[in-house]
Amino acid sequence: MLNIKCPYCGDRAQKEFAYGGDGTVKRPELNKEVSNKEWDDFVYMRKSLRGKHIELWHHISGCRQWFRAQRDTATHEIFKTAKISEEI
Amino acid sequence: MKTFSSLFNIHKKGKFGDFENKNEKNLLKIEELSNLLIFQLVKFKSSNFEVKKIKIDNLNLPDPLKSSSNSSTRILWMGPDNWLVISSDLNLLKQEEKKFDDKNFALTDISHSRTIIEIEGNLTDEVIKKGCPLDINDLKQGDCANSVYNGMSIVIDFISDDPKKVRIFSLRSFGESLHHSITDACLEYGYIGN
Ligand SMILES: [Zn+2]
Repeated sequence: MLNIKCPYCGDRAQKEFAYGGDGTVKRPELNKEVSNKEWDDFVYMRKSLRGKHIELWHHISGCRQWFRAQRDTATHEIFKTAKISEEI
Repeated sequence: MKTFSSLFNIHKKGKFGDFENKNEKNLLKIEELSNLLIFQLVKFKSSNFEVKKIKIDNLNLPDPLKSSSNSSTRILWMGPDNWLVISSDLNLLKQEEKKFDDKNFALTDISHSRTIIEIEGNLTDEVIKKGCPLDINDLKQGDCANSVYNGMSIVIDFISDDPKKVRIFSLRSFGESLHHSITDACLEYGYIGN
């Protein structure tokens, strides 16, 4: 079983977590004119990288906090996890 | 108004499973706990309030992954700035709510939304292991944890180490499933329903 280190609870089984997708996507700035292309990119367009990837995870059956994880999509190795307020 | 506990029609008293020719002391004990006040305390993200200054029923709010307790009340850490208070003193929320202004805190009475099953006995860890991925050997009296049991989100409150006793909380709507999972896990050891 894959273990994930929640920044609040420590090492826990993957069963307690929900995957939240790419952790680097930034929302277009608030109250700014947004083109259809920009919005489309933000909502739908994702890279499917092989290798190190920064992801969002949610400790949904735990402390219910979102955090970021740096994971290798080929080996599933998790190098680092960090609170949303922290740099990763 | 008459209220029914969530396992009123489900939990049965008596001995079940493989209990024959076993010392009664070694059998697991399963009990439903009801008639408790349960409320959630959340401090808002925007608040700078110092929670160390606050006590509920003379108890400090516990540190991450811990509980604090006295004979009537237990406070469990649920997440950052989020606690669950369980008390046999049904007036506790009324007495304490003045301490929590609504600019800093949200208090929610969720007494009727949970099922609580208490498990006691030497084999309690084995029953938890069957459905829950927690590293149970490291968890002792005074700890608490959110996790899953056979896919259901639960909270485990580690009440005491000797005798070994834990309480498992689930949403009331999952109570019957949880009870079935727990008692099924107990059958091979034999259990007493109290
Ligand atoms: Zn967590």
